[in-house]
Amino acid sequence: MLVALLAIAVGATILSGLVTIYYDVPRQMGEQFRNYGANMIFTPSGSDKLSTDAINMAESLIDSKELVGSAPYRYENITVYERPLMAAATDFEGAEKTCPYWRIDGEWPSKNGEALVGKETAETLDLRAGDTVTLVYDLEGQTAAAKPKENTERNQNSLEFRVTGVLDTGGNEEKYIFISIADMESLTGKSDIFDMTELSVSASQEQLSDYAEKISAEVDGLSARLVKRVTQSENTVLSKLQALVLLVTVIVLLLTMICVATTMMAVVTERRREVGLRKALGASNKSIIFEFMGEGLLLGAIGGLLGSFFGFVFAQAVSVNVFNSSIQFHWVLIPITILVSVLVTGISCVLPVRSATDVDPALVLKGE
Amino acid sequence: MFFRMIKGALFRQKSKMILIAVTIALGASLATAMLNIMLDVGDKVNQELKAYGANITVVPKENSVLSELYSLDEKEETAAAHLKEDDLGKIKTIFWGFNIIDFTPFVNTYAKLPNGESVKLTGTWFNHHLALNTGEELDAGIHSLRSWWDVKNGRWIDEQGDSADDNSAMIGVALAEKLGVSTGDKLEVKTSKGSKALNITGVYDAGGDEDEQIFTTLKTAQELSDTTGLIDSIEVSALTTPDNELARKAATKGPGSLSPADYETWYCTAYVSSICYQIQEAIPDSVASPVRQVAESEGTILDKTQLLMILITILSLFGSALGISNLVTASVMERSNEIGLLKAIGARDYRISGIVLTEIIITAVVGGVAGYFMGYGFAQIIGQTVFGSAIEMKPMVIPVVAVLIIIVTLVGSIPAIRMLLRLRPAEVLHGR
Repeated sequence: MLVALLAIAVGATILSGLVTIYYDVPRQMGEQFRNYGANMIFTPSGSDKLSTDAINMAESLIDSKELVGSAPYRYENITVYERPLMAAATDFEGAEKTCPYWRIDGEWPSKNGEALVGKETAETLDLRAGDTVTLVYDLEGQTAAAKPKENTERNQNSLEFRVTGVLDTGGNEEKYIFISIADMESLTGKSDIFDMTELSVSASQEQLSDYAEKISAEVDGLSARLVKRVTQSENTVLSKLQALVLLVTVIVLLLTMICVATTMMAVVTERRREVGLRKALGASNKSIIFEFMGEGLLLGAIGGLLGSFFGFVFAQAVSVNVFNSSIQFHWVLIPITILVSVLVTGISCVLPVRSATDVDPALVLKGE
Repeated sequence: MFFRMIKGALFRQKSKMILIAVTIALGASLATAMLNIMLDVGDKVNQELKAYGANITVVPKENSVLSELYSLDEKEETAAAHLKEDDLGKIKTIFWGFNIIDFTPFVNTYAKLPNGESVKLTGTWFNHHLALNTGEELDAGIHSLRSWWDVKNGRWIDEQGDSADDNSAMIGVALAEKLGVSTGDKLEVKTSKGSKALNITGVYDAGGDEDEQIFTTLKTAQELSDTTGLIDSIEVSALTTPDNELARKAATKGPGSLSPADYETWYCTAYVSSICYQIQEAIPDSVASPVRQVAESEGTILDKTQLLMILITILSLFGSALGISNLVTASVMERSNEIGLLKAIGARDYRISGIVLTEIIITAVVGGVAGYFMGYGFAQIIGQTVFGSAIEMKPMVIPVVAVLIIIVTLVGSIPAIRMLLRLRPAEVLHGR
């Protein structure tokens, strides 16, 4: 009996564990795919730049649970030692979430007056983490290169920054100097304007395009677009992964269920002698099958209950190990697991009991 | 006598032995399939992740330091430094050349449209056929490196077919709308070096900056920018191993900082940094750098998928092990009668254990072999349905499964046999 119970419990554990993982994988994997960075961008739809209000309004249309991070960007031409460069202002906390792939030699800036320098620019200017750099902004909107050098009465604003880190991305970001939004405002004297916003949203492609349409329609002066490279590829890869987990789940379940069934059969076949004795004592076939079934179903139910508990423990362990996050408990899985294990045990009991009851009791008892 | 008894046990109790063999076969097939998938899933998912495009860019050396810093405002000149088109084939000759799936060169120039506007014109390969002197042949180009492009009307440029020389071009959807051109139209473009009438063969939606550009063949762009035989940059898509401590050390401090042994390991592992290093060795005056957005994320996703599969595999191995040993225990316990009889007529304990174990092991071997082939089938079903390609069967799975099955059957039968041997024959035979 213990053997049978163990087999059923293991089967049920695998069932509930794998099904829980299967349901949770898309969500968890989707989060991993956010490593690829922003999958939606807001750009101005007219000639005006984006305002904080418009960005906030647009963000409020996205389910806050799905919004992994957002970072507004503002680009301005500045000069460093008379050299024209591009400065980007952003919210570093947001950028850390939308661009998890940024590799920083040093640290992220944490307060005003600190800057992150792209690797290429850092090499040109010979800057390292801990150095200071002075950014100069021409208030008349002209770059230094366009101006004659003798002209000393330039209407300029300059600020000194401490470089906290050098940014390595392998992309265009390596050419920029990143500073905080507040610093950019004091440098340029203009506030509340942004060129674009990058958003990382954990949602399927269809859902994303719904959001993009809704936002573009409802928010004035702002158009939301999907970063096709990220969304399309994510769709392809994620659907493959899901199919993989589904197939693996189905095959593992199928084989496990057959294993449980054969064990149950062996356990019941062993009791042919008992069946023979009962028959000899005058029990009807029906009552024997009834009793065996009752026993089997009880075992199935207990095993299923145990299994749904251990399955959740297993799924939780997997989730914590692989994705560093806990898993949701699906209550509906408990009745399903119990039902399936009862069914499997029931079916695997019926066959051997039936064949045992068909046999002449005298033969069974004699041991043939 | 020994063999006769075993033969008898195997054939007289046919149905029971078949049941055990089937269970063992199922367990073995589960173990085989899961182990093979687990070992191959990294490669398969890596292939899928190539959908994200290139993970390495190669630019000329001077360019990488100075590039565009001085040309932020001017859109007329092309970058000063170039790579040679003839060097492209060398990418496939590096140590990890086999891992390079695709690459494509780019020539960028700015061209004036009839309405006076300046647009970015890029020359590249679309599906360029390469016959390398190693005898290898491949089709390289942006057709597969830009898998997310949606060609809205018209078609991709087919370099092997009709459009090798005739100034064909593909235009971004945003630019096409602005200019009101579509497939089949001719578009006059002019640069400081010459002018051409481009045949638009397709309009693409790239969902990014590229929507406002024109892509044409390498030759056309080279003629327009007067850079025959020269290219501006190369994008490379390579299968890589996720970075570890060693790769990070090499990437931040340079390969020179590694000890000779570490250097060897690093060089001979397909880290993105070592592939970059090898490309730099192969192509003179070039700087190859990983595209972090793709390279880093690939690593994370590969690691997670593999870990997930390992844990699922462990669960299923555990499940099949318990299933098998359970059944074996049950079937040995069932034979208390027979063992009692054997003891009653004077059989020694070791003889009895020998007989029972041999029977079980023979059944296990038969079931295990059948299970291996069933598992092979399951793995292929999964491989074909999910990835559309066969799962490679690793030879190392065979000993692992064999050892697993033998240990599991022994663990399942030995305690049961020991327990039966402790019984008194008289009691057993009496039926208590």
